[in-house]
Amino acid sequence: MKGYRKYFLNKLLWLFITLIFAFVLNFFLPRLMPGDPVAAIVGRLAQGMSDTTGMKAVYERYAELFGVDKPMIQQFFIYVRNVLKGDFGLSFSQFPRPVADILSSSIMWTIGLQFPAIIVGWVIGNVLGAVAAYSRKGWDKVIMPVSIFVSNIPAFGMAVILLAIFAVDLKWFPTSGGYGYDLIPNLSWQFVKSVFVHYQLPFWSIVLVAIGGQAIGMRSMSIYELNADYVKYARFMGIKDRTIIKYVFRNAMLPQITGLALSIGTMVGGALIAEIIFSYPGLGYTLLNGVMGQDYPLISASTLIITIMVLLANFIIEIVYGLIDPRIKAAQAE
Amino acid sequence: MKRRITILSILLVLAVVLSACGGTATTEVPAETTAAPTEPTEKTEEPTEAPTETEEVPSGEVVLPRKETMYFNGQQWGSVVCWNPYSSSCNNAMTIAQQDNARVLMFETPYLYNMLDGQVYPLLADGDFAWDEGRTQITFKIKPAAHWSDGTPVTAEDVAYTWATHVKYDTATGASNKAYIADIVAEDAQTVVIKAVLGENGQALNPLLVQSYLSSNYVIQKAWTQKLEARVGEDSAALLTDPADDVVWSGPYTKFYTDDTKVILIRDENYWGQDASMWGKLPIPKYLGHMIYKDNAAGTTAFKAGEVDVSQQFIANVQDLWLKEGLPVSTYLPEAPYHIGASLPTAFFNLGSYGLDQLAVRKAIAIAVDYDTIIANAMTNQSATFDQVPRSLMNPTPGEQALYDHDAVKDLQFAGKDIEGAKKLLDDAGIVDTDGDGWREFEGQNLHYVATAPNGWSDWQAAIEVVAAAGKEIGIDITTNYPEWAVYQTIVTNWPLPEKDFDIFMMWSDGAGPTQPWSRIRHLMSSEFAETTNNWNGNWGGYKNADADALIQAIPSMTDEAALKEAYTELVRIYLTDIPSFTLMYRPQSFHTVNESVWTNFPHEGDGTVPPVPPLDLMDGWSVAGLYNVTLVNP
Repeated sequence: MKGYRKYFLNKLLWLFITLIFAFVLNFFLPRLMPGDPVAAIVGRLAQGMSDTTGMKAVYERYAELFGVDKPMIQQFFIYVRNVLKGDFGLSFSQFPRPVADILSSSIMWTIGLQFPAIIVGWVIGNVLGAVAAYSRKGWDKVIMPVSIFVSNIPAFGMAVILLAIFAVDLKWFPTSGGYGYDLIPNLSWQFVKSVFVHYQLPFWSIVLVAIGGQAIGMRSMSIYELNADYVKYARFMGIKDRTIIKYVFRNAMLPQITGLALSIGTMVGGALIAEIIFSYPGLGYTLLNGVMGQDYPLISASTLIITIMVLLANFIIEIVYGLIDPRIKAAQAE
Repeated sequence: MKRRITILSILLVLAVVLSACGGTATTEVPAETTAAPTEPTEKTEEPTEAPTETEEVPSGEVVLPRKETMYFNGQQWGSVVCWNPYSSSCNNAMTIAQQDNARVLMFETPYLYNMLDGQVYPLLADGDFAWDEGRTQITFKIKPAAHWSDGTPVTAEDVAYTWATHVKYDTATGASNKAYIADIVAEDAQTVVIKAVLGENGQALNPLLVQSYLSSNYVIQKAWTQKLEARVGEDSAALLTDPADDVVWSGPYTKFYTDDTKVILIRDENYWGQDASMWGKLPIPKYLGHMIYKDNAAGTTAFKAGEVDVSQQFIANVQDLWLKEGLPVSTYLPEAPYHIGASLPTAFFNLGSYGLDQLAVRKAIAIAVDYDTIIANAMTNQSATFDQVPRSLMNPTPGEQALYDHDAVKDLQFAGKDIEGAKKLLDDAGIVDTDGDGWREFEGQNLHYVATAPNGWSDWQAAIEVVAAAGKEIGIDITTNYPEWAVYQTIVTNWPLPEKDFDIFMMWSDGAGPTQPWSRIRHLMSSEFAETTNNWNGNWGGYKNADADALIQAIPSMTDEAALKEAYTELVRIYLTDIPSFTLMYRPQSFHTVNESVWTNFPHEGDGTVPPVPPLDLMDGWSVAGLYNVTLVNP
């Protein structure tokens, strides 16, 4: 167990170092983009006004308010101090809304859409891939080509196809929104049903694309394992197929689990395509707008959350690997 | 353990697959909801009962009856941020827009501007405003019937205090008007006096801008403002960032519900405007709703599905909706250009670029451009052509067209695609291709330009491509480049422009408003904006002409119509002679396309309304009158 503790502490240290670097980059990279977000805010104010000669003063006031007139390094320390207090500041693109408010109002939509979609896509994909690998003949002839075909449809293509067929033509599902356009959120059966119906197309547009990729990956891994020496040896030994398959799929799963962890880590970034095509609420589009509008506080806060989630997911996976896979534990502890 | 995981996974997959099938089984639900809404329990009529917190479930109706709700699109992009009428950045498109055609659903201006006849009509004000003899101040009265949502009367003191607050806290309104308005004072409870900043002649420095304040800026309650000031400790930044959830309003609607997907306003049943001195009744729809669509396509899909009644989005080939798809959709004009053009999207020459200081080069490019292609492609013919409305500095509204002498500038007109004329112009100026590489040179250097527009502004990009194509035909190498808007606007509004990449660039010009066309001309030509930074006004190419400046300065004080017409004609002449920039198309103030599945009797050309209701989405300036005229298709 001593070796494992060393492995654990080593991983923890690297986690911390990576976090520091990511945090610094999260702050500086958006600010290195060309362009001036304060000018964008002032530009919005100026539109439609009869006279805008006083806009220079307004610009200077906003620049001072956001602190962008201070040296970058000074801005960084102010940012660090505020983040430690849990204050991500005011958004530029949705000024004067606080970043924390933007994130809290959209993050649940994003997680609610992404998490089940990732899990379901992953589970179905892996089951199909494993079945294809194992059965080879009949199933594989169907699953492989279909998986390759589906996984190569770009996400926006899938979303538009679903929208055109099921919402516009067949009118089975609504075209946009997170719930009925004529509803106010409330605890009624009607509202829950509306949320559920609006959920389907964005959900399946993500799941269908994910299934194909997962199935292909799992199939390849499984076929590789099925041809491994230990499988042949086990067969010679007369071990039952069911038991062999358990070993095979346990080994084939390992890289797939890493992929799953990364997907979950990055899911906060949002399902941008589904959000745009179905006008579904969520963080993806907010973040895109933030990037377009150089909303430094929003970009930094979102990327910080994504960074932390990816690091945590990786960390957990590595710790779990260390436990379940002695080879890794041994290699890392050396 | 593994078996349990397997079983759980299978159950999960089954659950999702079954739930999806369940979803298809309930397919008719959304449609049914709209057609026959469950009878809601009647909401208490006191509008102040509406939730003061956003994202809180309001009491009362949770299904908005379709026949009491009018839906819009194209105005609200992204979530509403605040309800603070002092802030210009609430992203609250339906209720806070202090501009030439101010949106008056929740907060109200003294007067309403009507872009169709160029007149202003009293809203909070009682009767017309009047200049004094020496043109130093404006006096107007407040309607006795006008009252706030808390029941207290709207007074002259509210108007004065609103102005004082704008100035004290240096809001965008204060900053941009204090050069022309010296003070606003309450003479008595009903009488407001606006004192102008005076020019050298002892008269108002700019009477036009003083007047336009009356139809562009809201009256905000003094008592609430004082409460706000106390809350923010008189701190300017805090005042502008206050969400103002407790704001007091005077308009016919107020907030009902907002979240990241929608904004719903509810009618104020105690609205003062139902008094005979104003509308005599309440506006017809009880709720106004605006879903937050993430792009034009989503909004248009919903519009076609009848989930949106009034669309303010550009819909390519809009006539297909009724001609090919048979939808009950219409625009203000039944035939092309379908809308009333109001602004002039314009390509500016960077006069600091090599060779663009030469009139021959500018004019050759401008006359070579195929404008009909731009109008057919970028605008799908939703713009008048330059044969129909010859180019000038005026928008296509009859009011502005009458302001200059068309015949006097006839010889300066160009309708485009004049390749031979452009080539001759350049040849005559000695700008020819001497080294045989296909591109003309000026003083030994090839004419190479970059034409640009913001990325994603598809109509502007399509137009700029046509400009570039014209250059190639006359031996001037024009390539295109589309930076992101965040970068684009920073560069364009800050002189000097870069040495390359911004030689020919798109920017807007003013639409319709009480200071037009003067303000548009000023923004296109006045040298006060040339070569400046933080320039959100215009003249981004750096054009200077002393004669034009003198006319622009003189016009606001002119009262003689003949002299005014002469001045405007002269400005058009200068503009068409010097070509510092050139208009590529006409664009409506709003696209105003309506789906008459639920509501009808929207503003249309020749609808018989007097004064005519402009096609501006039933909330901008006088167009709000349209909300009192709409009727249900199936009552």
